[in-house]
Amino acid sequence: MNDRASPIVPGTKTGPLEEPSRHRAPWRLALVLAFAALAGGILLTGVSVWFLGAVALAGLTPAALTFNFHVPAAFIRLFALTRTAAKYGERVVGHRAALTDQVLRRSTLFAAMAAAPSVRRAGWQFGNQDRLADYLDDVEDVDYARLRVGLPSATLGIAILLLIAATLWMTPLAMVPILLLIAVNMVGVRFLASRANADLAAMRQSRQQASRLLGAAIQAVVPLQGERRWGRMLDEPFDGYANAQTRALVLRHWQALLDTLANCLAPCAMLSILVSAWLSGLRGEEMLPPALLAFAWLAVAESVLGASKIVVAFAREKTAWSALARWNTPDSVTRKHVAERISSLTLDRLPRHAPDGRLIGLPISATLKAGRPTVLHGASGCGKTSLLKQVAGWLDASDECVLGDGIELSVDVRRAMSCVCAHDATVLADTVRENLFAPHASDDELWRALDAVELEGRIRAAGGLDGWITQDVLSLGEAQRLNLARAWLSDSPVMLLDEPTEHLAAEQGKRILDALLQRLRQRIVILSSHDELTPKGATAVRLQ
Amino acid sequence: MLKAALTRLDKRPTEAANSEAPTLGRTLRVAHGLAAPGLRSTLALQAARAVLRLAFIGLAAMFVGELISGLANWPLLGAALASLVLGSVIGLVADRAVANTELKVANGLLGAVRGALAAASPGDIQTMPLGTLIAGLQRHPQAVAGLAVGHRLASIMLGLGPLLAAAAITAISWEAALALIVLTPVMIVFFVLIGGAIRSGAEAQEKAFGRLAAQFADRIRTLPTILGNHALMRERRKLAARLDTYASGTMSVLKIAFLNAGIIDFFSSLSIAILAVFLGLGHLKLISVPGFADLQLWQSLFILMIAPEYFVPFRRYAEQYHAKAEGFAAATALDTLVLAGRPQSPAFEAAKATRDLADAISPLPRTGLVAITGPSGSGKSTLLRHLAGIGSAPSIQPDVDARPDVAWCSTDIYVPEGTLGAAIALQNGPYCRTRLLLAAGNVGLLDDMLLPGGLDALIKAGGENLSGGQRLRIGLARALISDRAIFADEPTAKLDPANAAMVRHALVEAARTRLVLVATHDRSLALLAGRTIDLGVGDRQARERAG
Repeated sequence: MNDRASPIVPGTKTGPLEEPSRHRAPWRLALVLAFAALAGGILLTGVSVWFLGAVALAGLTPAALTFNFHVPAAFIRLFALTRTAAKYGERVVGHRAALTDQVLRRSTLFAAMAAAPSVRRAGWQFGNQDRLADYLDDVEDVDYARLRVGLPSATLGIAILLLIAATLWMTPLAMVPILLLIAVNMVGVRFLASRANADLAAMRQSRQQASRLLGAAIQAVVPLQGERRWGRMLDEPFDGYANAQTRALVLRHWQALLDTLANCLAPCAMLSILVSAWLSGLRGEEMLPPALLAFAWLAVAESVLGASKIVVAFAREKTAWSALARWNTPDSVTRKHVAERISSLTLDRLPRHAPDGRLIGLPISATLKAGRPTVLHGASGCGKTSLLKQVAGWLDASDECVLGDGIELSVDVRRAMSCVCAHDATVLADTVRENLFAPHASDDELWRALDAVELEGRIRAAGGLDGWITQDVLSLGEAQRLNLARAWLSDSPVMLLDEPTEHLAAEQGKRILDALLQRLRQRIVILSSHDELTPKGATAVRLQ
Repeated sequence: MLKAALTRLDKRPTEAANSEAPTLGRTLRVAHGLAAPGLRSTLALQAARAVLRLAFIGLAAMFVGELISGLANWPLLGAALASLVLGSVIGLVADRAVANTELKVANGLLGAVRGALAAASPGDIQTMPLGTLIAGLQRHPQAVAGLAVGHRLASIMLGLGPLLAAAAITAISWEAALALIVLTPVMIVFFVLIGGAIRSGAEAQEKAFGRLAAQFADRIRTLPTILGNHALMRERRKLAARLDTYASGTMSVLKIAFLNAGIIDFFSSLSIAILAVFLGLGHLKLISVPGFADLQLWQSLFILMIAPEYFVPFRRYAEQYHAKAEGFAAATALDTLVLAGRPQSPAFEAAKATRDLADAISPLPRTGLVAITGPSGSGKSTLLRHLAGIGSAPSIQPDVDARPDVAWCSTDIYVPEGTLGAAIALQNGPYCRTRLLLAAGNVGLLDDMLLPGGLDALIKAGGENLSGGQRLRIGLARALISDRAIFADEPTAKLDPANAAMVRHALVEAARTRLVLVATHDRSLALLAGRTIDLGVGDRQARERAG
């Protein structure tokens, strides 16, 4: 039995792309741990210094003998362990939360992208490795945004606010230089944020431009070398890459400037607190609480140094979100039962469109009968693939122009009815079994299909049905035959085969296609062939 | 020893093969060569920053110690502030120097790639995976630069930084410095143990789930195929399950990997805690350990504050973990993509035979139509390429410039994004519209239903809205308005009869004033040629016959 024995339109409900909200608890725990780690660090330094000061002052007097050092010493050890353990916990919990979110977000994103119209148009953009890499960068920037931006900035913000409050209470005078420095740092942050936005956008743009030019040049390498322009054609793309790298350098220079400002904040705060305590007349033991506070500031220094990274990560996250938002295409839930078989498909004055929407040639009228395959002939660019996709409901076609057994077929029904066997079909990184897309077929049926497309030996050698295959391990011809095996196993009433013998030797192609058409004799079959192949019993239609 | 231990610890099993190989790849050799000049001054700046940082901490400790003891030493405060400001400025300069050096390395690598591409033969370039190459060019040079500069500096500072901190502490109490140094081997033992655990954990993860690493990217790439086969629901469920499995596997490796940073945190926290208590007991005169007793407050503060600095370089180095892994992976990728020396292709022998043939039939006439004919696979295109001098290094063909200026005409010509008019005028300088119209009309581009708009017809990036026949005719129009010799590869193959006739006519017309060389299996075109080079199978000699 095939899984399409009762074909239904797969209804995927994809809400708008947004932060998954179900996983707040781990993030809260991570925030608590992060704060505990920072607090542990602050107290470790502060209390140690206070303790040393206290014992040093006590050591000068007979009080030394009665000084209870056990309690502060125990606290210092406690803080040391808290800092270490909480830091570890923060890393583990934070990464686990990020990975959990990632799983949810990526599968949501996958569904959202599947619903986007551009997947079904010509030339899937992420079939291109370099655009796919850009896209993955965006997904990754979003995946780790909370870990790189949210968590550290929240922790740092809380710590600084607490320290400011303590400073105001203890040595208000010291707040003057501290606030001044914080203001300078904030200006730096704002400036870096705006620079980062502009620089990242410009970098991306010049990289993409360069990549387009380089791609076009490489595809034309023979003519360019023939005309001796190849070397010169590399100028512009490589200048573009160098330009992007220079932009990145400028951004790093600004980051270094913010780092320098941030680097001065904590030490200056420490010295101002001590100086203002001294100037307000505190002496001896009275100096110890301000000293504790002062060194607490110093302990924050390390976290403050991450500020520039946080700002840039934030800018990247924003860019990434806006890039991913384009895939925010909520899909309507449609569950319709469609016929398992139709005996005729009628194209009634169907205007032919190219993927970009412009009209090609004259409208086409034809009635296709089950058992009599139709072959589309015509020069490249005449719209063979586009017509197949129009029938499949992948490209625009008015509903009233396509009729099955005399009944209008809506886009959803056509999509559910047709199996699109594209000429540029891909191989999934998965087992052979999964690649055949026939989860309910028995092993015997799968082997028969592989045998029919003359892949049996190759697959046995590669580890059988459960052997793992990828795009790279199969040659173009083998991938095409695997694709034909999918068609063999498909149970759809309308089979659309785009250039089924591409990449195959002429004899082999004819053999396999004849067998496949014999198997599909009950179905409506349309195939395209640029080399004017006409299988036995097929009707040829020439597109102009 | 310390560095060696950490280096060993850092090796991830997946990258182990690359990093353990004693021979550096070409990319890394180039990168190290490019980094060398900037590295020394950058290192000096970083060392200066480390010294000034220690100076600030030391001076601040002295000032605070004396302040609490009741003495405000203002010059000391001034000195501390001065070292802070100076250290920050030098830090800024150092950071910029690192960035500049990395840029130099990255640009140098780009230059090397560009040189390799410019010198490569079309066959080699066409076998490169285009998308991977382009994605790599945008990312790999920076990653390799990070390894050759940032990571390298961090590993040098790993040797230098702790020594500087220990030396500073020695000035107050060599015993305390010794205690820190003695702690280090203990730390390294832990590192080695954990490193082993990480390696085996990562190996297990790679073995169990390595295949699932890039499932998301793979499913995005293959999305149209999945939709075409109605497998969306199933693939979505499978993807979620696999992402989940992979994430939990990753998590179990990370749990061990984070122990690494945990150890650095532990020792640096512990050193503060232990030193604080020991120094405190010394002040209370409850113990009399030499080096910890009879110290002034500023002296014990000095030791306490410098001690964490001893561990900072370790942390910096650990932070470079990803940079290292990425850098090695990027270097390997660049090596295999472009920079690796390629073995001569198996077609080389055949190509040489064709070159002999090419030598035999040159010199080519200055005008007239010459046709290379023969069944497919007999080497028509190869001969055409050789006659144009493609893929031959200057040493092989010293008279490179004796070749005529060529306008190439085939289905894979370069077409810029823009309008049809601009595509035809490319490389030919500005032309008046009339000439462009004439050339486009001569090859039937003006009344092409599939490319409406005349000279203003829009051409998309990469010419993706053009068919092969349209591209070829653009190339021909471009050739016609120039006065260069025309080399055409199967100029009539993808055209309908009317357009093919038009193209044949245009080629014959052009042959009156210049050389037109075509590789073709079109009999009617070959019959129009003044000279035919027939590459029939079994007879690889050029048979020339007068036309």
